[in-house]
Amino acid sequence: MNMNIGLSDILLVSPMIALFLASLVPITAKVLRGNREQNPIITLCQALGGIVVAVGLLVVFGGAGKTAFNNGLIFDGVTQWMGVIALLSAGAAMIMMYENPATKGRQFSELIFLAMSSAVGMLILVSAVDLLMVFIGLEMMSLALYLMIAMSHEEKLSKEAALKYFILGSFASALFLYGVAFIFGTTGNTNILSFMENAADLIQTSRLFLFGMVFVVLGFCFKVSIAPFHAWTPDVYQGAPTPHTAFMATAVKTVSFAAFLRVIATRSLVGSEHLFDMLQWLAVITMIVGNTAAILQNNLKRMLAYSSIAHSGYILVGVITAGVSDDAAFGASGVIFYLLSYGLMTLGAFAIASMLEKSENHIVDVDDLAGLAKQRPMIALCLTVFLLSLTGIPPTLGFFGKFYLFNAAIGEGLMWLAIWGMISSVISVYYYLRPIVVMYMKEGQADVAEHSLNATTVTVVVMAIAILFLGFVSGPLFTAVEKSLL
Amino acid sequence: MILSTIVFLPLLFALIVAVWPNAKTLRPLAMGFAVIEFIVSLALFQQFDPNTANLQMVERYMWIERFGISYFFGIDGISLWLVLLTTFLTPIIVLASWTSVTERIKGFHVCLFILQTAMLGTFLAMDAIFFYIFWELALIPMYFMIGIWGGSRRIYATVKLFIYTFAGSVMMLVAMIYMMYLTQETTGQMSASLLDFYKLKIPFIGGTFFSLQTLLFFAFALAFAIKVPVFPLHTWLPDAHVEAPTPGSVILAGVMLKMGTYGFMRWVIPLFPEASEYWSWLFMLIGTVGIIYGALVAMVQPDVKKLVAYSSVSHMGYILLGLFAFNSYGMNGGLYQMLNHGISTGALFILIGMIYERTHSREITKYGGLAGVLPLFTIFFFIITLSSIAVPMTNGFVGEFFILMGTFQAQPVFAYFAVTGVVLGAVYMLWMFKRVFFGEQGELVKDEHHPLHDLNAREIAVLVPLVLMVFWMGLFPNNFLNYSKASVDHLVHNKNSYNLTINQPGAPAATAATATTTAPVTEQTTAAAQGDK
Repeated sequence: MNMNIGLSDILLVSPMIALFLASLVPITAKVLRGNREQNPIITLCQALGGIVVAVGLLVVFGGAGKTAFNNGLIFDGVTQWMGVIALLSAGAAMIMMYENPATKGRQFSELIFLAMSSAVGMLILVSAVDLLMVFIGLEMMSLALYLMIAMSHEEKLSKEAALKYFILGSFASALFLYGVAFIFGTTGNTNILSFMENAADLIQTSRLFLFGMVFVVLGFCFKVSIAPFHAWTPDVYQGAPTPHTAFMATAVKTVSFAAFLRVIATRSLVGSEHLFDMLQWLAVITMIVGNTAAILQNNLKRMLAYSSIAHSGYILVGVITAGVSDDAAFGASGVIFYLLSYGLMTLGAFAIASMLEKSENHIVDVDDLAGLAKQRPMIALCLTVFLLSLTGIPPTLGFFGKFYLFNAAIGEGLMWLAIWGMISSVISVYYYLRPIVVMYMKEGQADVAEHSLNATTVTVVVMAIAILFLGFVSGPLFTAVEKSLL
Repeated sequence: MILSTIVFLPLLFALIVAVWPNAKTLRPLAMGFAVIEFIVSLALFQQFDPNTANLQMVERYMWIERFGISYFFGIDGISLWLVLLTTFLTPIIVLASWTSVTERIKGFHVCLFILQTAMLGTFLAMDAIFFYIFWELALIPMYFMIGIWGGSRRIYATVKLFIYTFAGSVMMLVAMIYMMYLTQETTGQMSASLLDFYKLKIPFIGGTFFSLQTLLFFAFALAFAIKVPVFPLHTWLPDAHVEAPTPGSVILAGVMLKMGTYGFMRWVIPLFPEASEYWSWLFMLIGTVGIIYGALVAMVQPDVKKLVAYSSVSHMGYILLGLFAFNSYGMNGGLYQMLNHGISTGALFILIGMIYERTHSREITKYGGLAGVLPLFTIFFFIITLSSIAVPMTNGFVGEFFILMGTFQAQPVFAYFAVTGVVLGAVYMLWMFKRVFFGEQGELVKDEHHPLHDLNAREIAVLVPLVLMVFWMGLFPNNFLNYSKASVDHLVHNKNSYNLTINQPGAPAATAATATTTAPVTEQTTAAAQGDK
């Protein structure tokens, strides 16, 4: 295989390069200062600067389905949208890291370096069309995350979380790689683009290819916490410091779904009825398991973790739709739109959970929210917006996200998936309403760490306004997403 | 622009109230806003043409072009009175909440105005998704209203209300999306407009549950049936009413339940005519069961508010019966009864709220002999009681009479049973009236530490407009029915090919022909009602 690397390849990957260079700045500065931390706000600004530049480069140079590095990476609408969503989520998570007691101050440069490295992995993952590239992206993203969780100062839970995440994450990677090996064995190639055209035939004729596909899919199911491969999620989400959890629940999920979408969009689902059925059942089980288990949770983060499992189920419906639709952009744009809305509302909810944490080992229960509406009405209102949006109540963005997603599913004839989605949304009302009930209707003294206006507050308010506002312009936004995929 | 103004003005008021700095002037401000809204809504009469069944004052802009969803408001004879009922009740509610809501006054009024926008939007939206947004939006302020300002079991009641109604409406959303794809199949252009939905010919097979029209019919009907609420989906209602603060109960009974019956008139019957006709026996049956069941349960309630709540179940059964009779009497009666119930039951809840404020109890057995202590209150209560049990010359009579006429024409069996509801209604209301107002003075009435005061000027001001409406609607039903006649008759006579056209100002009315052909029927209808008095 001969590979010519030209200027266009470099330009296309420039967001990754920019991000990587920006990630080096804080630790370099620390080393040059004789291993003394620089002011964390400067570190944060360097990181956010890197993200802004990367987003800009991604928007300017990406798009139009250009490929780089011998078809290893592709830069199309999916890359752009998912990349931007992931980077912005990462940025918001870093703002939270700056202010959360568990991640504040100590070793902040290293933390930011790891988060940025993880983001570089994410960018590789969203653009990868070669299964080995996907693997590299996945590992780069995950390894940095394992470290991030492990280096947090919380006593026990985070170490346990890191270990669990590491073991199960490695297991998922192994499954994935195993599948890739089978695919390579049958096609002699690991590039999705090369077998995209005949994947439907291959899967019918070749058992080994089907085998490989199933393992690749299962690997992704682990990563995006599809039930019954979700068991690690609640523990890890609860154990990790809240900003990290926000990072995992939004950015990591977004990019993992991007890669998942690329694999499914090979129309292999059309080829194999069994794989199609299996994924549909997984989606249904995930929606039900996530939503019913969340009802039982009293810990706010754990509840949000289960809710994020449920949302994976919804998104999987969109992924399946994209896989069987003649017009792949149709389902995929639903997925991207949903991820956009999901990112905003989940980040917002976690940001508020983060604000409520006074000390490193403080566990926020739903009951701790009592009286929040009286003490900090603005924050309570924002959390209400996020929760109503997560439930899918109009006119919030979450409603439109679900609307586009299930609209595509119904248009593709997957009526029963849409109905299951709706039924599980009804179940979700129960636990999403609980914090609202507690905040507004129960007396108490909510423990809010700081009363001054800080960056997290600003982020939260901005997100709440975005959720209310973007709903009204969701039409043009959806069309923009869809057009970019064609 | 008038419809948008009417719908979104309260939202603007909500914003102003939310940022209003002075707590003392908050109530007068809210009152002023509510009155302004009512006056603005009266402007509808200036433009409304009662001689046509067409959609009027239409405002339509493409909103989400990809799926044919539009910002689409329109009004006809069916929605006109419901809009006015909403704007009429709001100032009364603000005035009635003057002393009953004492905490978080600002939040309360914000909720109230958001709720008003949601309800008006529901009545005026002519696009499926646009309608759905208002429909669901109405839940949020109501949820807070009961949850924050309600009674001791308010959280249970409010969560139950939310889950019940949300569960009902999600299937409607699925059905709506499905119908959007149906429009794409038939016309090549996806649309969520109600007018395009009306043009769909959805296949129907009688005798089976699994025909497309039947499935869609039930998906919609479930949402509306829960909101109405019909028996046996009514269990959220008594809880919600009992726990809700007075203004909440008034809105719930006065307007929100009408969203369900309006849904039947606007969506279910014209969209799925064959299925509605085929399954009408089911809805008439549950309507009749609801009438009798509601009345019987109301009879044994120890709590006067719960009694009125169950009487709502009974009254809403009448409306359902009227709508599914599919004739001019039934439909007109159903629509009229929606307004009646809004006025009478709203007034009853306000009256109960007033007495509750004085005694902090709603237990019937603790009262007695109230008539001697509160004469003015007794008079008002008596008038409203008469209206609630449909005594001739009051509004209730006209509605129930029409409904029963219609039912006799359509399905006499149900009418025989439904008539017993009239008797039972008189029994439980008058019995309650007797126990509360006459006989020996109960412990609450005798209590010397808390002497009871009769109605003050504000309370009289709250009640007078309602009482005036009771008599106006009872004595001159034509003043009201004339506005809705064309629309209702159009629905009755063209049920299987129901179609709404947009009224072009200045152009000759497209459905004038149907209006004239059906005119004799309505004249007969209304004449019969008046003759009977």
